[in-house]
Amino acid sequence: MTGSFTMRKRFMLVFALACFTPLGVLAGGDTAAGKTKANEAGCVTCHGQDGNGVSPRIPNVPKLAGQYASFLAQALKDYKTGKRVNAIMSGFAANLTDEDRENIAAYYASQSGLRVLE
Amino acid sequence: MRCTWWLRLGALAIGLTGTSLAYAAGDAAQGKIKAQSCMGCHGIPGYTNAYPNYHVPRVGGQETDYIVAALKAYAKGERQHKTMRAQAASLSEQDMQDIAAYFNAGGVQ
Repeated sequence: MTGSFTMRKRFMLVFALACFTPLGVLAGGDTAAGKTKANEAGCVTCHGQDGNGVSPRIPNVPKLAGQYASFLAQALKDYKTGKRVNAIMSGFAANLTDEDRENIAAYYASQSGLRVLE
Repeated sequence: MRCTWWLRLGALAIGLTGTSLAYAAGDAAQGKIKAQSCMGCHGIPGYTNAYPNYHVPRVGGQETDYIVAALKAYAKGERQHKTMRAQAASLSEQDMQDIAAYFNAGGVQ
């Protein structure tokens, strides 16, 4: 009994870590620093200050406002590593650090725009 | 910021190159019917796939041309995601346009 209880506790611990570690890691973006970086790096040129684009709109540019920060940070990382390819975004993402990505992601995630389907 | 207009011009040029030829504009009502399987992930607030471990993106209100471009890239394997590739590969151009129209109009905050 004791042995199986220990195994169960161990399993629960591993499961809990597996559940919460990614979210914990991705929760730390600084929106103010993200705003500064989004301006410096040129994100705002196409995606706008508010993450809903610029006028006139540039074709194929997505809205970022209200997108999940974890998704935005992942997209930037994938552009940098080359997993996701886009002639423009690859160049921008190449110069961003882990911290930049988290901050920019937090900045655009904090804005209002995108919605969950119902 | 000096190069703002050059960036926009470049982005515009690349965007236009990728714009498809003549397809009927998307029909959101048709898109809603065709998007049933999308809802299993994109219709759940805060949904996170086990792998990869980031949130399934919000697509309500997203731009139609971006959605269509994303679906095409998944279908061709240019954008990598097993589930999305399987989903997108089953869609026609018109399906993509309709689904994009539905996404663009739909969703809740």
